[in-house]
Amino acid sequence: MSSSEEASSMETTTIDKDLHVTFAQMMYHLLPNPYESQEINHLTLAYFVISSLDILNSLHLVEKEAVANWVLSFQVQRGTTNDPNNGQFYGFHGSKTSQFPPDENGVFHHNNSHLASTYCALAILKIVGYDLSSLDSESMSSSMKNLQQPDGSFMPIHIGGETDLRFVYCAAAICFMLDNWNGMDKEKVKDYILNCQSYDGGFGLVPGAESHGGATYCAIASLRLMGYVEDNVLSSCNLSSLIDLPLLLDWILQRQGTDGGFQGRPNKSTDTCYAFWIGGVLRILGGCNFVDNKALRGFLLSCQYKYGGFSKFPGDFPDLYHSYYGFAAFSLLEESGLKSLCSELGITNMAANGV
Amino acid sequence: MAGKIEDESNDRVPLRLRPEWSDVTPIPQNNGPNPVVPINYSEEFSEVMDYFRAVYFANELSSRALSLTAEAISLNAGNYTVWHFRRSLLESLKVDLHVEREFVERVASGNSKNYQIWHHRRWVAEKLGLEARNSELEFTKKILSIDAKHYHAWSHRQWVLQTLGGWEDELNYCSELLAEDIFNNSAWNQRYFVITRSPFLGGIKAMRESEVLYTIEAIISYPENESSWRYLRGLYKDEATLYVNDTQVSSVCLKILRTKSNYLFALSTLLDLICLGYQPNEDFRDAIEALRTSDNEEQDSDIARTICSILEQVDPIRVNYWVWRKSRLPQAA
Ligand SMILES: [Zn+2]
Repeated sequence: MSSSEEASSMETTTIDKDLHVTFAQMMYHLLPNPYESQEINHLTLAYFVISSLDILNSLHLVEKEAVANWVLSFQVQRGTTNDPNNGQFYGFHGSKTSQFPPDENGVFHHNNSHLASTYCALAILKIVGYDLSSLDSESMSSSMKNLQQPDGSFMPIHIGGETDLRFVYCAAAICFMLDNWNGMDKEKVKDYILNCQSYDGGFGLVPGAESHGGATYCAIASLRLMGYVEDNVLSSCNLSSLIDLPLLLDWILQRQGTDGGFQGRPNKSTDTCYAFWIGGVLRILGGCNFVDNKALRGFLLSCQYKYGGFSKFPGDFPDLYHSYYGFAAFSLLEESGLKSLCSELGITNMAANGV
Repeated sequence: MAGKIEDESNDRVPLRLRPEWSDVTPIPQNNGPNPVVPINYSEEFSEVMDYFRAVYFANELSSRALSLTAEAISLNAGNYTVWHFRRSLLESLKVDLHVEREFVERVASGNSKNYQIWHHRRWVAEKLGLEARNSELEFTKKILSIDAKHYHAWSHRQWVLQTLGGWEDELNYCSELLAEDIFNNSAWNQRYFVITRSPFLGGIKAMRESEVLYTIEAIISYPENESSWRYLRGLYKDEATLYVNDTQVSSVCLKILRTKSNYLFALSTLLDLICLGYQPNEDFRDAIEALRTSDNEEQDSDIARTICSILEQVDPIRVNYWVWRKSRLPQAA
């Protein structure tokens, strides 16, 4: 640590991988107190930590079996007595706060399975090499249908919640990872996504909403996972697509600001996390080289914290969310020493392919 | 530390010391035998959630349970289980939802960027029905006066308009916000939402003429504003022929190009027009020629190729994109 004082005052030109591993490892051992306010998304926080360590090529620091067992402890089993058409979704709880033991007949009365938590659970399981085919994917899938709305969107939990592209993405990623698409009406999902493309080419979280980097990622990654958009579509001769691709491309490329970073919406500040949301879309479409990657790298380095992690804006303190997307962005930039990312799934290619 | 005894947080009486909770046995969180990625919980958080679990598990529909949900929400505003239980309590206790609205406002004043708060607010408004329209429009207006690009507030406002109405003044509201900040892309988006969806304006066809004039004025004032250019393009959504043939569009491009400053969007818009079939005349060729610098490579008779070459130079961030666009132009005869 002797050089860290100097490093903080010097212009940083490289990603300090060892410091980032230490940062992620600290988070792995204990999430600091402020994260209790996000306790309900405990699995999501765990996904950020464990996927970080994977991207940073440090999965050996993770106790894989313990992690798999812990994640599985959030799963809600349908049991033998529950009717599959009772309107509930049998996936994973987000946290221990809302988890209760079953009654003496093995029936769970408090099912708070959530699509985002279920996506994160499956992602973590894939990262630690757990074989998803040993899960009861059929009951998860068939019950997921209960969450799909008449307009094609998904609500995140059977007790109700906002419906938007975030949960469309979670649903698509879950189906993809389970290799079971019985949980959704794909045509309806597709129509919903197309309705979210705005007049400017980007996608809003719901139809009519302003185009947004995160929503655009959810739209394009979902279409890719569902097979409606081909990989590297920009390299093909024929750009015809379900979506207005030229307009999307023009919008997405314009998100890089003069400071090199990416912004989530026009005329807003650049922010570390959009290096992934926007960069991920570019990777899927095959347009990574249409932006200034050197300038992006420079922006990200200005958000690198001297003791590891990344902040939202240059010079701020780091947080887990922006650190994760900082690592992911560096992986998209093909930084040496980092594992390559399957951008549509949000995990490394090795995890995605089960290597 | 010792001097902090007066601190507000120390005024909180733990639930286990409150007489009204003495009959409840908290249910401690079961972290399982081998928890990973643990959270460093505060005592307060653990205690409140342990009591919450107890009342939730017992489905205790009481007013003390309602106030407990408020405590839990203050610690974890994203906890959808707590919010859901609160809604059951509001219903079974027949709580006045106007009072609940004030509660939401208090929570939102601390942290308004939280999906659950807005989902709850929508639930309350849905229950109150039409009478909620004005208060919801006012509430979002208040949030937008602090952060004019607040995504949740805009989303809620669009829901209110579509569900409860209140469109009459919305276009004016957009104009007001754009007068304050013409770069406010959220306000431009809302403007598009209004002209395409308001039941009073006759749709985009009826609005196009006046909106084009409004937008062109905005473009001329700030040609570097991406939002107004995109809005202009949006006014011709699915109407490529109209877009290409409307001289107002090409004229504003020409006008900006002739100023020789902040002409990036004018240039890329002209390129798009040409790709859609627009045939630029001599005036355009002259304006483009005037933008060429000596180090622009080979003389090119094809105007679209020249535009790409200029864009490669003046928009270096996206140089590879403009090279690619050039490579996909139909080959000049
Ligand atoms: Zn961010």
